[in-house]
Amino acid sequence: MKLELEIDGHIRQVEITPAETPGQWQIRVDGKPVEADAHLLRPGVLSLLIGGRSHRVVLDAGFAEPALHLGEKRITWEAGDPRSLRRRRHVKADGPMELKASMPGRVVRVLVERGEPVGAHQAVVVIEAMKMQNELKSPKDGRVTQMRVAPGDTVSAGDVLAVIE
Amino acid sequence: MRKILIANRGEIALRIVRACRELSIATVAVYSDADRAALHVLEADEAYRLGPAPAVESYLRGDVILGIAAQCGADAIHPGYGFLSENAGFAQACEEAGVKFIGPTSAAMRALGSKTAARQAADEAGMPRTPGCVHGLASPEEARDVAASVGYPVMLKAAAGGGGKGMRAVYRPEELEAAFATASSEAERAFGSGEVYLEKLIERPRHIEVQVLADEHGHCVYLGERECSVQRRHQKVIEEAPSAVVDEELRRRMGEAAVRLALSAKYTNAGTVEFLVDEEQNFYFLEMNTRLQVEHPVTELVTGYDLVHLQIAIARGEPLPFRQEDVHLRGHAIECRVYAEDPENGFMPSPGRITRLLQPGGPGIREDCGIYEGWVVPMDYDPMLSKLIAWAPTRKLAIARMLRALDEYVIGGIRTNLGLFRRILRDSDFQAARIDTSYLDRLLAASHLGERAGAETGLHLPAIAAAAIFEASRPGNGHDTAPVAGTSGWKSAARHEAVREAMWKPRG
Repeated sequence: MKLELEIDGHIRQVEITPAETPGQWQIRVDGKPVEADAHLLRPGVLSLLIGGRSHRVVLDAGFAEPALHLGEKRITWEAGDPRSLRRRRHVKADGPMELKASMPGRVVRVLVERGEPVGAHQAVVVIEAMKMQNELKSPKDGRVTQMRVAPGDTVSAGDVLAVIE
Repeated sequence: MRKILIANRGEIALRIVRACRELSIATVAVYSDADRAALHVLEADEAYRLGPAPAVESYLRGDVILGIAAQCGADAIHPGYGFLSENAGFAQACEEAGVKFIGPTSAAMRALGSKTAARQAADEAGMPRTPGCVHGLASPEEARDVAASVGYPVMLKAAAGGGGKGMRAVYRPEELEAAFATASSEAERAFGSGEVYLEKLIERPRHIEVQVLADEHGHCVYLGERECSVQRRHQKVIEEAPSAVVDEELRRRMGEAAVRLALSAKYTNAGTVEFLVDEEQNFYFLEMNTRLQVEHPVTELVTGYDLVHLQIAIARGEPLPFRQEDVHLRGHAIECRVYAEDPENGFMPSPGRITRLLQPGGPGIREDCGIYEGWVVPMDYDPMLSKLIAWAPTRKLAIARMLRALDEYVIGGIRTNLGLFRRILRDSDFQAARIDTSYLDRLLAASHLGERAGAETGLHLPAIAAAAIFEASRPGNGHDTAPVAGTSGWKSAARHEAVREAMWKPRG
């Protein structure tokens, strides 16, 4: 299986094939071979041996972006086939933009109504969680064309709250 | 005392359930709709619903809690910390209902609960306090006069306050009037009382507190001090016992002052007297907390006493089972308060499902927690997940042991402040115990810059290999099928797993 991985700020070409022994993988990273012995202890918890070095890797599931814990680092990655990843990187920042919830919580106030103009960095929605209130600000100058939440609504991280054009 | 109702949630509710079980006392948990699947409900002998998730409709409903206590035949209520623990009205309602409140009497709580009343009590007990007034300020003019007499900078504080609300530092006379107005209105909104008082601001103080225990027969002891200077926005982040700057002599003077204050107010049960300590080792009374503290485990580990056991013994009317001269400190203990918040993103709260949990263990490690893999951390309460406590013979070894335990600890699915503790424990100022209440703000400002400079990372083979293996073994994505862009596979895999795990009883 061929993958393009964007990890830790770099794009890597990865080829991965399971070997005949379970848990053994043949991996090529940017063309260079790596022998990895991986044992899934329980879902999401991997014991990984590379050249005798032992690594504990824990999958951090539940976020929009896949991530893993390795040592004391939390590392996110994006995977795709080469074309899709590259295409996404060239998306331009004009056109409609979505205002997304940065944390799960409850909508306390909506500060800008649908149809109203809004300036970049102007607060649009206020969300509360764990006794803390957080203002979510417009990513650009424009007009609120959609307002998808109302006070009292519960939102998850990544939910689209409003669309600004 | 045969059955105790625990009027709290989270790690402290579980901590009290454990103590009761050790003493063969039956336990009653109460829960809001957000906490039906919480560990304290699972582990208690009985559990009853309080109401909807918001605290005002559940954990703050003293009337509902007393009704449950009467119905299930509980003869005592342990309030934990927060919620109703320092509510004198609730303590009094318990007294009137004939249910033992495990804590001080409502009268003692009133005498020491308000900060201005406590300052008056401190004067009567001959205890040093910060210069300033012992009554609420009637007007900005009075504030100006008091400030002029003690000298700038000064601190305005809410008499009913806590947690940093209604507090304002004032450095110049011209700032005083506006600060008085905002502190007063903030106090009014947060505590329902706009009473503020003024004291001299101690610069770069340490926050050091003394644990006291008083029985109902007039005996009171102190159990050494806790160093709580590592704070962010007046909230404690790391606590330790003992303090690196407190010697035998200072410990005795602070301890005896704390005991005098407790005895003068006829205080009973566990309490904490907070002090500010300046660079010349002068100590000033700050306030008294009339409850069990979050950070009580560090005292337990260095004294060997179980504070919840002792609270229950005192509430049963038993005399303290030891005297002051029997109290000895051994070794060093450190506690980290693990929060569901993201230090890399403005400490934003991070409630949600814990998809993965690897808990630390081994020598000298204690974890007081109320979470499990699969638990959804509610958005309705404070973000504390657990307290990680390390004990070792020396401070240096306790730091090393805590760092080791932090490496073992993984909480997945939500963001936590575990990384922040590594940063603090490795910092040379912390290791040398050069800390005061503004230490953490300075560290955060400095390391923020450091991180940006060191953002460049090289080839990280294990991470790349692991990500590729996770991708190749993703459900519905065998190596013979084409890779799928996007993340929907991950989300549904996590959901499936959560559903599967919900069918199993979590491990305590």
